[in-house]
Amino acid sequence: MPLIELTDVVKRYKIGEQEILALDGINLIIEQGEYAAIIGPSGSGKSTLMHLLGCLDTPTSGRMLIDGIDVSRASGNKLSEMRNQKIGFVFQSFNLLPKMTVLQNVELPMIYAGVSARERRERALVAIERVDLQNRARNTPLQLSGGQMQRVAIARALVNNPRIVFADEPTGNLDSKTGANILQLFRELSTGGCTIVLVTHDAKIAAQTPRRIEIRDGKIVDAAAMDPVLSGAAPLPLPA
Amino acid sequence: MNLWLGLLVGFKEIWAHKFRSILTMLGVILGVASLLSMFSLTAGIAKGMREYMQQVGGIERVGVIPQEPPEEQQLFADTSPGRTVKDAESIERSAPLVASVTPVSILAGCAIHRGPMTIRGEVDGCWPSFVEINKHNVALGRNLCDLDLEDAKRVCVIGKVIVDRLWPETPNYNPLGETILLNNRPFTIVGVFEYYERDQDKRRRELGLDKAKATPAPPRKKSSRTSRAAPPTANIPFLAKNSTIIVPISTMFFEFKSASVVGGVDQGPTLKLDALTFQVADINRFQEAIQQVRRILHETHRTVEDFTFDTREEMFDAIEQNIHETRMSGGLIAGISLLVGGIGIMNIMLASITERIREIGVRRAVGAKARDIFVQIVVESAVIGFIGGLLGLIASAGMMQLLIAISPGKNAPVVELENVLISFGFAVVIGVLSGLYPAWKASRLDPIEALRYG
Repeated sequence: MPLIELTDVVKRYKIGEQEILALDGINLIIEQGEYAAIIGPSGSGKSTLMHLLGCLDTPTSGRMLIDGIDVSRASGNKLSEMRNQKIGFVFQSFNLLPKMTVLQNVELPMIYAGVSARERRERALVAIERVDLQNRARNTPLQLSGGQMQRVAIARALVNNPRIVFADEPTGNLDSKTGANILQLFRELSTGGCTIVLVTHDAKIAAQTPRRIEIRDGKIVDAAAMDPVLSGAAPLPLPA
Repeated sequence: MNLWLGLLVGFKEIWAHKFRSILTMLGVILGVASLLSMFSLTAGIAKGMREYMQQVGGIERVGVIPQEPPEEQQLFADTSPGRTVKDAESIERSAPLVASVTPVSILAGCAIHRGPMTIRGEVDGCWPSFVEINKHNVALGRNLCDLDLEDAKRVCVIGKVIVDRLWPETPNYNPLGETILLNNRPFTIVGVFEYYERDQDKRRRELGLDKAKATPAPPRKKSSRTSRAAPPTANIPFLAKNSTIIVPISTMFFEFKSASVVGGVDQGPTLKLDALTFQVADINRFQEAIQQVRRILHETHRTVEDFTFDTREEMFDAIEQNIHETRMSGGLIAGISLLVGGIGIMNIMLASITERIREIGVRRAVGAKARDIFVQIVVESAVIGFIGGLLGLIASAGMMQLLIAISPGKNAPVVELENVLISFGFAVVIGVLSGLYPAWKASRLDPIEALRYG
């Protein structure tokens, strides 16, 4: 059974009178343990796709199975539960709570999972160790560098043992060296069995993943056909 | 998310914005302080009133008072002897619902001599039960007794203020066995009543707080004849009671009421009473007891309805009503200020969620349900109400002092646990209520929008 299965997924937005077709019949399968990149220019619908996959939103029509659960018509509470139990997020701007320590930030998802205080602490410390920040656990995010903050965010994304981690432009706010470190960390996690989906507009980053899902104008472009572009052999075609 | 954690987050949030939180709380603090002060002041007034009512005999004391007989009885109204000792005797004999009864014959404006001292006062001729009915206590010596009554002995029991006025040179003089002249007839003092005062005055006196005030008495004594002896003015409600002089009613009749000369002609003895009071045994059977006495007096007054009952029910009701109204109106005004405090909380909570839209988005992204966000905001708001309430209780102590200083009342405020709980509880409720709307707004935020915000 695939981890994620999308069948004819359509997402429409209404902005005032104007209706925008953000996703136009997406069919997609992501298997357990995959390391993939969703790539596309801005406005292509890749963020919308990630929001749907990440259970932050539901499709207008179509069917969406995540870990065997149909979430295409799920309630707000059900979606919260899915995000809490099955999904981890890593954002471009880290999105850590500035008033809390690293430890408390990592504990946050477990609070909503109803984990006891003691277990929270133990698991949070393990996750922090996984991203190599054990000596920074008591610091607040503002005392950390960008790369460290993103590692905290990754620890937070992993702490509830999700089925899949979504990383939305995870290196966008980092210099290239730190960015490379973060990508290295993702690769290691992937080797360790995590399912990871990167969302990026950067072909160079996408080139590092075994699978690339290119999206344009709300449709998935045949990934195989795009290979030369993704490998950097040809210039990236400009969006129409 | 459990409540304990919510509280913790709430406290942290408040601590992170100390100054803003204090300003927000100020409304609640002042509201709670004025609510509790108001309650305590009215409770103090109520306590003073009740104490006074209790001192003058309580609700169970009933007076039989004369009234104009109804028109249809006017023709034979003269057949009624009026209130006499016989009424009292009949009531004592035949009314089991009456605990005790006393006839009273009053000698007003009686001259009271002791050596060089002369004062004027009222002397009551009565039965020993007078003491019980009027809530007197004999502090020194004894009460009147049946033997005094039977033998019409010239003995008296006097109030503390009378003692002080007759022996101004010796404070706390023990006058037992001394003889005083009542309208030039010698009476032996066999007992002295205790000094009646309000609880708070008693406390102050015992603590020695009033000494400084009492000693430099204004030099307004004009003659040595009518001496000072008026105790601190605060005690006016009890002055009359402290000035009581009682003698056996038989003695009263023999010595002072055996003749009444009007225009040089003796009108004969006055046997009618000036007062007839009794005490109801069981307050729950008050009306029944009144009926019992009514039937007896019907008999002794030969069916003429020239009497009625002076119960204090109405007076008590009026006082209680008064207390209630003061409390309600005061509470309402203070409650409004607490409400204003609540609006302040709501305002700040709304500002706070706008500031934290992104935080809310993050919490939603990692799995917080809309409900969790709602609870978090309400809890934070409740915590403001809670802390504000606590600080308000502390502030009320200061506010009461301020109120006393501005308008010194006769009654000290009384802080009752119930009122503390009401004021505090109200603050917490206001905190919760004013958090509801901001919490609802926060919980409805779309996670995607919230994450993008800012």
